[in-house]
Amino acid sequence: MTEYNRVVIPIGPQHPSLKEPACFTVTLEGEKIVDAVIGIGYNHRGIEKACESRYYTQIIYLLERVCGICSHTHTTAFCQGVEELAGVEIPRRAAFIRVLVAEIERLHSHLLWLGVAAHEIGFDTMFMYTWRDREAVLDILAELGGNRVNYSINTIGGVRRDIDDSLKQDILKMVDALEEQVKYYRELARSETTLAARLAGVGKLSREDALKYGAVGPVIRASGVDFDIRKVDPYAVYGEIPFKVVTDTHADVFGRTVVRVLEMLESIEIIRYCLENMPDGEITAKAPRRIPAGEVISRTEAPRGEDIHYIRSNGTEIPDRVRVRAPSEANWHAMKQMLLGQYLADVPITIAAIDPCFSCTDRAIAVNSGRETELMDWPRLRQYSVDWYKKRGIDVSSVKMPERRSYF
Amino acid sequence: MSLIKKAIDWGTRKSPWIIHFNAGSCNGCDIEIVDALTPRFDLERLGILQRGTPRHADILVCTGAVSLQTKDRLKQIYDQMPEPKFVIATGTCACSGGVFDGCYCVLGGIDRVIPVDVYIPGCAVRPEAIISAVVKLLGALEAQQKGGGKDAERRSDYSTVGREIQSFEG
Amino acid sequence: MQNEEAIIQQLVEKFSLLKDKLHVPRAKRIVSDFLTREEFEQVLPYVREEMGFYRASHVLGTDEGEDLGFIYLLTNDEGIIFALKEKAPKSNPKISSLSGEYPSLEFHERELVSLFGAEVEGLPKGPPYPLPDGWPEGNYPMRKEWNQEYFDPHTMTYNPPAETQKKEAEKSD
Repeated sequence: MTEYNRVVIPIGPQHPSLKEPACFTVTLEGEKIVDAVIGIGYNHRGIEKACESRYYTQIIYLLERVCGICSHTHTTAFCQGVEELAGVEIPRRAAFIRVLVAEIERLHSHLLWLGVAAHEIGFDTMFMYTWRDREAVLDILAELGGNRVNYSINTIGGVRRDIDDSLKQDILKMVDALEEQVKYYRELARSETTLAARLAGVGKLSREDALKYGAVGPVIRASGVDFDIRKVDPYAVYGEIPFKVVTDTHADVFGRTVVRVLEMLESIEIIRYCLENMPDGEITAKAPRRIPAGEVISRTEAPRGEDIHYIRSNGTEIPDRVRVRAPSEANWHAMKQMLLGQYLADVPITIAAIDPCFSCTDRAIAVNSGRETELMDWPRLRQYSVDWYKKRGIDVSSVKMPERRSYF
Repeated sequence: MSLIKKAIDWGTRKSPWIIHFNAGSCNGCDIEIVDALTPRFDLERLGILQRGTPRHADILVCTGAVSLQTKDRLKQIYDQMPEPKFVIATGTCACSGGVFDGCYCVLGGIDRVIPVDVYIPGCAVRPEAIISAVVKLLGALEAQQKGGGKDAERRSDYSTVGREIQSFEG
Repeated sequence: MQNEEAIIQQLVEKFSLLKDKLHVPRAKRIVSDFLTREEFEQVLPYVREEMGFYRASHVLGTDEGEDLGFIYLLTNDEGIIFALKEKAPKSNPKISSLSGEYPSLEFHERELVSLFGAEVEGLPKGPPYPLPDGWPEGNYPMRKEWNQEYFDPHTMTYNPPAETQKKEAEKSD
């Protein structure tokens, strides 16, 4: 094909429903994507420089706001890194609470993703269902930490909130109800052919590419790689909790959906285990104000994948260098591989499927071979995508979902 | 007051359309805005619809401390919105810069870039606070429309609305 | 299954320059001391091809006073993180791009260019990341001498007070 037939479409940088801005430029030949350039950095705020002028305790609250969705995982990585530097061992009860909250957070994050993904393929009934279920999880987090989103559970040397008996009963009630819902979603994913037709084969990422481009989390596990920090490098009390790492071999968006749904069931089991086996005792250990000099690489498994924190201390109350490698940052590199060779109609779901800590893109300008300029936005792209599939007989919005009782 | 003006006023009051823009937020407030639109809180029952493009929107719901890269885009979006338009600064960061105040790539609150009508503090804001803010904005709008004030006066009116809501803790 | 000590032993046998420069602070971590560019480039292919560290999680920059430090976090199948460090003087901060061998490092290397002022040779052309458009040239915010108090985000200019400017001028004299 000649250069003339190529269409360059920048998408972004703003999205109506979610999160951080980013800008994609995809080059098309006909309807197929032949090139993709990813422009991120709209949300660069300079957090790492700010860390170099704040006290360790202040940084916890700053890093919690790196991402409002997986806030607990960032503070866990940071706190356990600082504890390692200071040689502080946290009480066992605190470690259990950290794991418990991390898994509750995973539930809320995966439910959120399931909703967003359903919205991108035009399955708004599912979107509303999952976000309704998610409210129950947020209620628990609000009860536990006092806030629905940034719940500030971690502190250096342990956790800030304890779990009493009534809260324990509430959590158990919540996970029982949620388990039923998640099993229903699992059945839906298995039995609903429309969903499979819409998601299977989209955003392919082979096992080799997943490893080469450094994908993490559900993305790499859906490509058949058994890599989960909770198993590979156990932190807190993950080493003693029985759970299995969910993998899938579809290596596409369908596989990523299956992995996330099954992971929720695993999380529910971990939550039950934690509540049953949590020892009594203190929830904080004393930590020094000045952290001894040294460096540490700390990592956790966030809902989106491996989260790495590098912390270097110079012996004062203020760190010398803090670096956060968030999981989405790792998944961007694989994004291009997933987009190449896809149809334009598959762009929204492919981008959404890595659960980017951004998801957003509103206005897009379609430049037709440098001659015509046309305004194209994300909702239009989404609509285009939904219609494109409808024309081919795949209409997810027609999937009937039985009415299910709300449990809150 | 012409009939068209009346119709527009009535439409804005009864069914305001909102657009959401993230100017450098942590996503916490953003998901709470989506939360406000989903079944439990369901802003849509009040006639409030979320739109994808600024050209269709009456209210800009903006989150996050403004980062240098989004500054111009925020202005563009504000300029694209048709009059009458309103801005709700959602979350502590959008009000004042919050925890990111002092970071080198952050300008501070939304009001450093565009005029703001309502401030909602909270980190993250709760959906109830967003609903309350929208309702108060609409209430003030109705009062102002009945009073028939000019646009310039309206701005100063809204700054009082802002102060009133600032005391509302999510 | 290789453990951390065995990996170190094998590396030190192969490269005598690594003697006493590799440490195991805890399980699943190997940390090296800072190597020069020549040493680093000598060691890396072996670590990648023979030792199985074929995945790269990250490369981060640090400010080491007169030098810039670059810490590569490489991972193998067992999940061991090998923090291989390289340094280059600030006066000539040149390193080679590894984005060919490790495509997952591309964005992070762009970050080194923007935030630390490193010269990454062989980095494919692309948009700068992550600083905003119109960022003043020659300002590398993550270097220690760059003080954010002197930076005005509204005008995007960096204005250090006259005194420090004078001092710096004296120093260079």
